Amino acid sequence: MKTIRSPPGLHYPITVVELAKKLGDEIARSSPLFNYYYMTTVTEGDKYGDVKEVEKKFPARFDASADGIITQWFIKNGSVIQRAGVNLVEIDEPCEHEVQFGSLCANCGKDMTEVDYLTDERNVDRATINMTHDNVSLLVSQREAVRAEEDAKKRLLAAKKLSLIVDLDQTVIHTTCERTIAEWKDDPENPNYDAVKDVQSFQLADDNVSNVAANSYYVKMRPGLKDFFDRLSTMYEMHVYTMATRAYAQAVAEIIDPDRKYFGDRILSRDENYTDKLKSLNRLFPTNTDMAVIIDDRADVWHYSDNLVRVPVFNFFPGAGDINASFLPKQQELVTPTPKKTLPEPTPATDKAADEGDGVPPISVAGNPAETVLTDSTNGALTDLGQQLLSMGSGDDPEVLEQQVKEQEKVIISQQTERPLLQKQLLLDQEDEMTEESEDPEETENGDTHVLEHHKHRHSLLHDDDRGLDLIEANLRRVHRAFYDEYQRKKAVPQGGRIAELKGEKSPKKRALEDSVPDVGKLMPRIKREVLGGSTIVFSGIIPLGMDVENSDFALWIRSFGAQVALNVTRQTTHVIANPDRKTTKVKRAARHPHIKIVNAEWMFQCCTRWEHVDETPYLIELDPTERSGSPLEDLEDDEVVGTADEEGEGAAESPVELDLSDDKWQSMGDEFQEFMDESDDTEGDNSNSDSESNRSDVSAQTESKRNKRKRKRVTSSADVSEGDDSDTSVNSTSRLQRRKKRTMERVTSLTNVVSADKSSGLPSPETTGPEEGQGDEDNKGADAVGPAADESDVDDGLEAEMMAEFEKSDSEEA
Amino acid sequence: MFFLKELEKTIQLHPSYFGPLIRSHIHRELLTKEEGSSTGKFTIVCVLDSFDISDGQVIPGSGAAEYTVHYKAIVWRPYKGEVMDGVVTSVMRAGFFVDCGSLQAFVGRAMIPSDIHFDGNATPPQWTDNGDQIVEKGTSIRIKIKGLRSEVDKMYAIGTMKEDYLGPLQN
Repeated sequence: MKTIRSPPGLHYPITVVELAKKLGDEIARSSPLFNYYYMTTVTEGDKYGDVKEVEKKFPARFDASADGIITQWFIKNGSVIQRAGVNLVEIDEPCEHEVQFGSLCANCGKDMTEVDYLTDERNVDRATINMTHDNVSLLVSQREAVRAEEDAKKRLLAAKKLSLIVDLDQTVIHTTCERTIAEWKDDPENPNYDAVKDVQSFQLADDNVSNVAANSYYVKMRPGLKDFFDRLSTMYEMHVYTMATRAYAQAVAEIIDPDRKYFGDRILSRDENYTDKLKSLNRLFPTNTDMAVIIDDRADVWHYSDNLVRVPVFNFFPGAGDINASFLPKQQELVTPTPKKTLPEPTPATDKAADEGDGVPPISVAGNPAETVLTDSTNGALTDLGQQLLSMGSGDDPEVLEQQVKEQEKVIISQQTERPLLQKQLLLDQEDEMTEESEDPEETENGDTHVLEHHKHRHSLLHDDDRGLDLIEANLRRVHRAFYDEYQRKKAVPQGGRIAELKGEKSPKKRALEDSVPDVGKLMPRIKREVLGGSTIVFSGIIPLGMDVENSDFALWIRSFGAQVALNVTRQTTHVIANPDRKTTKVKRAARHPHIKIVNAEWMFQCCTRWEHVDETPYLIELDPTERSGSPLEDLEDDEVVGTADEEGEGAAESPVELDLSDDKWQSMGDEFQEFMDESDDTEGDNSNSDSESNRSDVSAQTESKRNKRKRKRVTSSADVSEGDDSDTSVNSTSRLQRRKKRTMERVTSLTNVVSADKSSGLPSPETTGPEEGQGDEDNKGADAVGPAADESDVDDGLEAEMMAEFEKSDSEEA
Repeated sequence: MFFLKELEKTIQLHPSYFGPLIRSHIHRELLTKEEGSSTGKFTIVCVLDSFDISDGQVIPGSGAAEYTVHYKAIVWRPYKGEVMDGVVTSVMRAGFFVDCGSLQAFVGRAMIPSDIHFDGNATPPQWTDNGDQIVEKGTSIRIKIKGLRSEVDKMYAIGTMKEDYLGPLQN
């Protein structure tokens, strides 16, 4: 159906003289639709040379700009058309050119690019949406796209499936170009043999990257991939969406899906993606993304889509990175060293020291040649060059592009010549020999493979112990179940629709279908937000200095799980995610509040990959008990790590209390915050001061940091002292009093007392931990702290003084 | 349709090729550059042996020599209405793609007989009439060109199999 309007560029007003066609007549393009006349003034001269202006009437013909059958006339004989844009006639076209291939209509074969004097809108603009995986020339119209998606939706619902977009690199596979892998694979003696024996390799025909002939790619599948696909294919229709080139994607698909039964031809690569910066669900599902789930190891390329299930990175070849991330925006931040991210049971401290032998030292020692390669290789890479980019017309700065290409060449050459993996393995071997000489080590590592007897102590560099797929599968199952549960529930109550129909509301049937299909983009965030809902998290020593914490990758990630991210340790803080190697001010501040759990980044990864609130106990950062209690007599140097069983126990026992207190917290947060703001002017100054100090110390030289630390230590310890004092007074009062006080505080919403929430949540409450345990603990702290309190009090900050004053006041009131 | 066509090509040769074998260098250059290339109107299938090389002219500034080569070649040019054989490369709900030599053609849903329908659940996906006509990836097929459009070095075609004797080839 096409409506022809009066075009611009006529001499309006025009008057219709006669319609050439009747209703229902067939009309050909450029044949006359109607005759009209228009009036205009012209200058006429007669033979005597007189010139005069005459108004004259000119007849003209209006031609049809489309083929078809006339279904409606908006004008009749004698109508006057005053301006452009008036509806004239409606024509039912035989072909609406809804599917176009290379600007040819796929239904009638006409060339869509033709433009002539009648063209009012270009035919190529009728179909602008690409929904095919492997072709950029086939475009469809909006209407056709909706129709196709409706079809797909029905098909999926009937099969009880969802769509799953699968990323390749570092999600289901890991690829490297180092030919060391081939050598290891051929050598059963090699300690890495077990890990690499199923690595498959391929070469790309038209691959002339960096002039290195015959570049081989070595692909390691994530362990259990076949079974993973097998099980998932019953629940999901899977698509590949990768930023690699088409040839690479095809080759990898050949490896992970040789029978083409999981993915079929549903493979979308960079060549068909129009842009190489972003992945977009709308590229595949232009109108409706309700049933699409994504798995990818990077969230930024998806703009943190609600449909994304972010998966733990599969990093099999250490340092190889994502070879196809070359032209992607740089990864926002360096990921903190998490040697065994997905290991279900974190290795105990004693084990860890030995374990670190295969993770950390090679990096720090081998370091400089290898290390630079690693960091580069995540950004530069070795796939097809700028050509493609340019041909895709992504308006990239050629200079930048050239630079990227150069960088990438450098990387591939270094990967091929320097062979970082081999170097690392050699170092590892050396180290093993050394440890062998020094002592007879116990074999406690679980990830290591010991091939032969005399290789007993030869550690392998590569670990074939990634369990990421199990976690992904669990999450995907959960989404699938949630989706179809909700779908069934919604479908089971179509009565609403029926009643609505009886009431005469419009198109209830259509609405019913629309309504009954839940939206994954809404469903998944809902599931995820429950995970860490109510927690407030502070990062410390994790996000590099100078980065916007609020918008950092980690913050966005953890926020999608319902947690709040705060910049400073406050009363609301429930967790501090810290770098275990550095004791920052924030950590020290948090250490004074036993309810704040200080955990390493691993905890966050666990929560965010398993989608459950993981017990913090194994991830707690061991803190010096002195830091907890704050005794300045302790010297800084003997920072030995003492097992902190009691603290861990405390943390575990506390969690229920903390939960129910958070409600209370929410209620009174407003006034409390107000009051806090009023009172803590000076404290704030102190805060920011110490923060910047800590940050500086992060980057500054060791000595300086030590000095700072010492100084800071004094400050914090003195603060601790007052805290200790505080708790001392409170705990020394009987536990019954304590209980009563708490109850009254809860009733009175603690308007008068700033410290109340902190106290009530901070102290292990007698109900849960048992009075003797809590008291004993606190008593110790108090005893430690009493001595130096007097002489250090001048350094004390205002808040603590306020707190104490308030607290004593309330105590006296209570009494 | 195939034609015998006289063509002309300017070839630039790097000075390092100058020498007694210069003719064979030019010949090789001609073959690698021209055979299989598409001008947008036709595809050069095969360069015939006898060709005529002009005297070389050294380009000032670069040292390369320029030769004008006249040669005859078998070229292929598709026409609207022509019937062609090809191989199916990709099958989807909207239709399927056929490679006919250098020409990629698309056969849309409207160009497929109504008794042949799309089966997306089959592996691989296929268009089938549930009888002996199955169109899937790799099928040899005979189509007729309905529409043709050429760009600078590429041709697009719309094919149909809605007429007699068109469709999958039995063999």
